[in-house]
Parts: sequence; structure tokens; C-alpha cells
Amino acid sequence: MLDSFEIITTTGVVVWSRTYAPIKPSIVNNFIADTFIEEKSGSTAIQDSQSASVNPPYKNDQHTLKWTIVKELGVIFVAVYRSLLHLSWVDKLVDNIRTIFVSLYGDQLKKPHTTLVEFGTNKFDEYFDQQLHELDKASGIDASGVPEIQLNSNLNDEPLSAPSLTYRGRNISQGGLDATSNGSSPPDTPSASRPSTPSNNNLLVAKASPAARLSRRARKKNNANAPLLSSGDEGPGGRSKKAPKKGRKWDQDGLADEEDDVQLDYSAQTNPLSDSEAEATGRSSALEHVDSSTWGSTTKGKFVLKDLGDEVHDILASAEASQAASSKNGSKGGLIGSGINAVSGLFRNVVGGKTLTKEDLDKAMKGMEEHLLKKNVAREAAVRLCEGVEKELLGVKTGSFESINARIQTAMEASLTKMLTPTSSMDLLREIDAVTAPPVTSLRTRRPYVISIVGVNGVGKSTNLSKICFFLLQNKYKVLIAAGDTFRSGAVEQLAVHVRNLKELAAREGGGEVDIYQKGYGKDAAAVAKDAVAHAAHTGYDVVLIDTAGRRHNDQRLMSSLEKFAKFAQPDKILMVGEALVGTDSVAQARNFNAAFGSVRTLDGFIISKCDTVGDMVGTLVSLVHATNVPVLFVGVGQHYSDLRNFSVKWAVEKLLSST
Amino acid sequence: MPSPTFWSLVESSLTPSYTLAIIAIVLVLGGPIILHLILSNSTSYIIHPQVVLVGPDGVGKTSLMTLFERGDSPSQTHTSQKSHSVELNASTDSSSKYSYKNHEDTTGTHTKFLLIDTPGHGKLRNVAMERLIRCERLKAIVFMVDAAALGEPESLAPTASYLYDILLFLQKRASDKSNNKKNNTPVPVLIAANKVDLFTALPSTLVKTNLEAELSRIRSSRSKGLLDSGVGIDDVGSEEQDAWLGEYGSEKFSFKQMQEFEIDVDVLPGNITGDGPGAEKWWWWIAQRI
Repeated sequence: MLDSFEIITTTGVVVWSRTYAPIKPSIVNNFIADTFIEEKSGSTAIQDSQSASVNPPYKNDQHTLKWTIVKELGVIFVAVYRSLLHLSWVDKLVDNIRTIFVSLYGDQLKKPHTTLVEFGTNKFDEYFDQQLHELDKASGIDASGVPEIQLNSNLNDEPLSAPSLTYRGRNISQGGLDATSNGSSPPDTPSASRPSTPSNNNLLVAKASPAARLSRRARKKNNANAPLLSSGDEGPGGRSKKAPKKGRKWDQDGLADEEDDVQLDYSAQTNPLSDSEAEATGRSSALEHVDSSTWGSTTKGKFVLKDLGDEVHDILASAEASQAASSKNGSKGGLIGSGINAVSGLFRNVVGGKTLTKEDLDKAMKGMEEHLLKKNVAREAAVRLCEGVEKELLGVKTGSFESINARIQTAMEASLTKMLTPTSSMDLLREIDAVTAPPVTSLRTRRPYVISIVGVNGVGKSTNLSKICFFLLQNKYKVLIAAGDTFRSGAVEQLAVHVRNLKELAAREGGGEVDIYQKGYGKDAAAVAKDAVAHAAHTGYDVVLIDTAGRRHNDQRLMSSLEKFAKFAQPDKILMVGEALVGTDSVAQARNFNAAFGSVRTLDGFIISKCDTVGDMVGTLVSLVHATNVPVLFVGVGQHYSDLRNFSVKWAVEKLLSST
Repeated sequence: MPSPTFWSLVESSLTPSYTLAIIAIVLVLGGPIILHLILSNSTSYIIHPQVVLVGPDGVGKTSLMTLFERGDSPSQTHTSQKSHSVELNASTDSSSKYSYKNHEDTTGTHTKFLLIDTPGHGKLRNVAMERLIRCERLKAIVFMVDAAALGEPESLAPTASYLYDILLFLQKRASDKSNNKKNNTPVPVLIAANKVDLFTALPSTLVKTNLEAELSRIRSSRSKGLLDSGVGIDDVGSEEQDAWLGEYGSEKFSFKQMQEFEIDVDVLPGNITGDGPGAEKWWWWIAQRI
């Protein structure tokens, strides 16, 4: 059963919630952060008002979340349940509740300067319960199959002259409606649902979950007295053998259905009203008596639930109808209508206040995509960005004197900024300090901070490593450089030259110290790295920088050694160097490197090298971040040791959107 | 006889004459102006004073907003993705001036103000900053921290770096003389130490010293850090890039140094749920600043 159902605004306020089993709020928080803010699900852009069955479910370790969002109002509908249960009807529930909620309270959510939603007479709880029962029951019947037969025969045998009894009449009309709509759903008598619901629960989980108990309570408030419970519990037993159950049912002239066992339980209280022609009402009023005896309310209690079913169906049907009407309206429109539309569209293009449609956006988005591709953004990333922006803008009104292109520009700017902004800001120096000089109160011991650098051949790993080293030396750290490239000839010597230069610079500026740790060629790089870290810890270095051999990202043999490397050296930061010159391949590079360190370790950041050679075409960094969600830390902007920069999101976005 | 007069009226309205031309000109030119005057005087154009709630995620910003709005108890909340504002009434002379439960209070004069909640998630920080920049009548900033988590360096570091950005923004705003007068009013900052009802919560004095120590650390490491990309050769060493929070060259940062820029920083403890001092102190602080 459901653990929780919540209606949350994008501003973070829980408008309405129903909890059956307590769940940690962090589950929903993580869901929001991962799905909407960090967009970890990747390529699929979040669509407005999509059915919950289309939206990818968010899976926590124990829970599954089904969700849907109405972007215009900024409401998210989330249903949480245990992943062990396969509740096929949750999608439908989420969708129906969305329809009901939007049609009832949508206007209230549009009001500015308030977070309150007035639920009026608090009917929404009841609507929700009704939907929950109906769908739960429907699925239960689908599973067992037996009550469905009963339903059909019940419907066929029933004389349609019954409407003299309002209860029965409504029952029929509703059952008929359901039968026409999806054929398999039962009439909406709550009484019919009772035996099937527990049986459904018993099929799914061994013991009745608290939610099942609660739903029953919601239906009948507190009629959980022993006889009724026993009747419910004996349900599955009786259901499993079809024949006896059926036989007992049909001996009551075909109108009385499965409820008769309940009636038997309460025979002492049977309503005197039950005459022969109103057998069914007699049954139901007998049940009402049970209610009134335990609950103390009037017989109306029964009918409230009935009406509720109708009301909910009315809401759903009218929402569906209006949707169908609007889609029809969209397609029609005569010569004059289209002419007026065209003229006013042209006018609004200039003045603003135009509601953006897919046709309007398509052309402009093509232009934006072209523009991004020109900026060297990989096609995959460009398409994703454009799709996201398009979804965001569909149905949005442009501001006064704002053209579509300007609107898209601002939306793209926001989209890019959001993508490139890291989740947590990175301050390398402070992190190094925290590791090398831990606070006295924490129980950690001092150890060197390990940074390793990976990347494809020739992107500038050694160069950027020495740039970082120079930066650290300026801040007076003791740095050890480990020559982990034991493969390419000249690699160790190259680093040795860098170290010689850096030593001289450090001595001149009175900075820190730097040394090289090397074991020559042909050794296992992981072992060299491990030894280097141990050596640094022993001799009191602050930072260890590990260079690695360049490797092609689609070479399995070379990439597989990275996992061992990460395990041996235990780097605090694994940085990947990506050159700004590379095009579409950057996506694959980033993906493969990100996945190469095993399941527990990923990249921590990118260094984009050779940014000075591409001018405005810095699209590569968008591709890299798109592929991995790993932030860009540094940008290499020249040949000198000092030509390393912190990455500034504003700068990148400006360059990407500049049109020259 | 109504019909001849009617037809004569129609006829005269269609015959060219000076009076008609003047009436037409007055209508055409004056109509929009009158409409504009009516619209611009209507209430929606009055900007209420604004108070912005900022802080890292999960500290209770949205919760506080709903508490102030509802009066009795806060709503359940989750991670926000958008900023949102509520309209509240504060007063400094009514009988319930110390309490946010003033929805039915009729004594004293009440000032309407907007309390603006911002998302705290790291990726959405620019949304919050943008909201801050857009505020036209910014009266105060409430920076919320989680006093119960601030003992941990993992929580202290991001909190302090966010606070650093906010304070730096205010400092630049205050020292920016070229800006127009309207934007130049000093903005006080309240550091609301939330969740002090929890066992691990730090007292507000400790919150203050911890934040100050961390801010000095950030300040020194930022001054030593790399330049931002996009900074040209010419900009190196310019005023804009040389951002130093507080008194220049001082060893330790303290919130007192912000007074140089007329930015008052107060630290007040409180809690939204559970037993404790509650949120009244914060409310009173806000009420005084509006």
C-alpha cells in the first residue's frame, strides 16, 4: 500500500499530504533535488502535466516515488510506496488526484503572496479516499478476477427500472459508465469493495498493512469490530474456491451480491425496511445500521460516500471533456479565424504578451540549437538544453515588448547557469587545510591531500598539473609530484623539468617546496601512486599531485586500470583534463572516465585546458557537465604557470550566448 | 419625437466640424493618459517593503515563512525550487507587537511587508542572489542557519561561504556610490540561528564566533585563490576584483567590521518547531526594521 501521498508546490510548501506509514522527509527532498534541481535523470526533460506513468519513477533504496508536475501552477504530486510492492494503480491515482486538485484548487495556487490553500469544507480528503479505494479495489478485482464476474452478472440481471431507488440507480449508472470506459472496473459501491480490498492486501503482503486498515477506517470510520473484520479476513479463503461463494450469493434472487456474509453477521440488526423488491437497499441499509450503531451518525454516512464517487467522476469527466474540447478548438478555426490569428500573432510578436506555442518556438529553438552547435556544444547537450527550454516556455506569455527570441535567450541563460553552477562551491585551499591541518576537536589525523589528474592523450595533463602545483606553491604548501605516467617515454623527464622550474620559482618567491617522486618506466602506476602517498605522509608533505598516463577513453584495457588506481591511491580529488578544442567526442570522454573508477568513485571536477585557443567557442565545458553532472573547477587560459583560472559561470554563459 | 432627434444626432456626429474634431482629439490623446494615471495609482503599483530570507538548504526558511503566515504552526515543507513571497503585517506599537500571531489584532498601526523566501540549494543560489538584486525596497535580510548542524565543519563551510557572498554583495552595494539613492539604504542582516531546541544546537554566541572564524578563513583563502576566468589582464588589481570583506587587511573578521558600511549584523537564536524561544525574537527584529 501507499506510504505517503504529498502535494508540494515548487516553492517547497506541502499543500496537502496523507501519510500512512512515516517516511523520512529526506526521501522527498532528495527526490526534488535529484529530479528537478540537479536533473540527474539526464536526457529526459521534465514535461508539464505528463502522466505519472511516463515520468521515470524515482527509486530510493527502499521506496519508489511516482510523480507528476503541473508546471504552470508549480505543483508536484508525489506518491511514495515501498519498492517491494508492485502497485500498478499508483500512476492512475497520481494522475486522477492531479486532475481533481488542479480543477478544484488551481486558482488558489495562482494567487500571489500567499502559501495558503483553502480546502473549503475539507472535501479533498474524502475525494482522495474515494480515489484510493476505487483504484485499489479495481486492481484487486483485476487480480482475483472473481468479483468481476459477479459484477457483470449483477449488472446484467438487474432490472433497469430500479432507479426508483436512488441508491441503486446511481449504482447502475456509475457501473455502466465505468463499464463503458474501461470495461473491467466495478460499480462503485463501497460495500462491494470491502471484501476485495483486504483480499488484495493479503495477496500482496502477508499481513494487512496499516494503510489497509486506515483505508477501511476511512471508508467506514470505525466499524472495525470483530465480526466485520473476520468477514473481511475470511474473504480470500472464500474467494479462492469460486463455486461455493457464488452459490451462496445467487440464492438471493440475483440482486444481493457478495455483501451477504456481512449481512449474516449483522442479521440481528437487519433493517425492517428491507422488503422483497428493495432487497439491495435492504442490504445496504442493514450496513448503515451497523454504521450508526458504532458511529452514532445518521444513515447519511452511506450516501455521502456514494455522492462522493459521483462527484469525483464528474470532476474527472469534465476535466477530460474540457481537455478534449480545447484540443478540438486548437485544430479548428475557419479562414477568418486563422486570418485574425495570424494578424494578431504578428502584432503580438512585436508588442509581446503572446502565448508561446510549439510552432512559434520550433523555429526559434532551431536557431538557438544552431547557435549552440556553433559554440562547439555537442549535439546531444544542445538538444537537451533546447528541449528543456522549450518545455519551460510552452504556454508562457511573453512580456510586454519582448520578442520570442529575447525570451528564449533569457530562458537559455537561466538554463545554462543552472547546469553549470556546482551543487556545492569548491574552495580547494580550504579543503586542503581541512585535511592537512584538521581541527583539534575532530578525531582525524593529519594526512596529505591527494589530487590525481586523468585525461585523454595530449590534452595537457602534465601542464595543468604543474599549473596547479605553482598555485599551491604560491600558497606555501609542500607539494610532492608523483610521476604516474610510467608508459610514455619522456613523461617522467618532462615532469622533472617542470619540477626543476617550479623549484626555482618557489625559491625566488619564497614559497613552498616541491619534489618529484618517480620510479622510472614500466612499473604499475597504481603501485607508484600508492608508494608516493605513503612517502608523502611519512615525510610531511601537504599535497600529493599524481600524474597519470593519457589513455583513450574507449580502450577498455587501459581504462580498467583506473579503478585499481583509485583504490590504491585513494585520491581526495580526481580531476579530468578536457581540452576545449574537442567537439562531440567530449561527451563520450567524460562519460567513460566518470564511469572508470568503479561504482563508488566518480570524477570530482574538470579542468578545461586550451581555452585561449577557442575564443567564444567554449561549448565543450557544457558538453562535459551535461554528460556527467560534474562541475568544472579550473580553466586553463594560456601557456604560463600562472594561466590557470577559477571557473566562473557568468563568464561561460556570457561567452556561450554572445553572438559574433 | 425621438427618431428625428436621434437621426439628427447621428448626422451631426458624422458631419465634420471643429467641436467634433476637438472632442475626438481630446478623447484619443487624453484617454490613454487618464487610463495610465488610474492604473499607476492603483494599489498593485505600490511596492511593499521587502525582507528576504536566505540561507543554505534544510535550515527552515520556508518553514519560517509559513509559520509567520499561518500564525499557529508551520506547514510541512520540502526543498524549494523557486522563490516565493508572502504578505505580512508587522507593527511596532500594537498590543501584540512582539508576536507574529497578530492576524486578528486591531490595535496599533500595521505595516504591510513582503517576506521573500529563496531556495537554498547550491545550484539555485544564483536564483536567490538574483532575487536579492531585483528587490526594490529591500529592508532587511534574514540569513538563516541551522545551529544544530553548525558544529560540523561540513555544514559550517558552505554556510559561511554563502554568508560571505551575501555580505560581500551588501558591502559592494553600500560602497557603490554611483548607484542611485534609492538602492543605497543600508540593509541590516539578521543571522537567525534556527533549531536551538535540538540537543546539538550551539548557543548563539558560539554560532557567531564560529561563523566569524570561518569567514576569516574564507576571506584569506579567497584572497590567495586563483583569479576567475573572464578576468582580463587589465582588470587585475582593480577595485572590483579586489573584494575584501570588512576592514581591509585585518587579521580576523568580525561582524562589527561590517558597520563601516552601515551594515548591522545581529545573531538571534530561535526555533520554529519544538520547545524553545520560538520565532518571536526574529519577528520583533523584522518589525523594527520595516
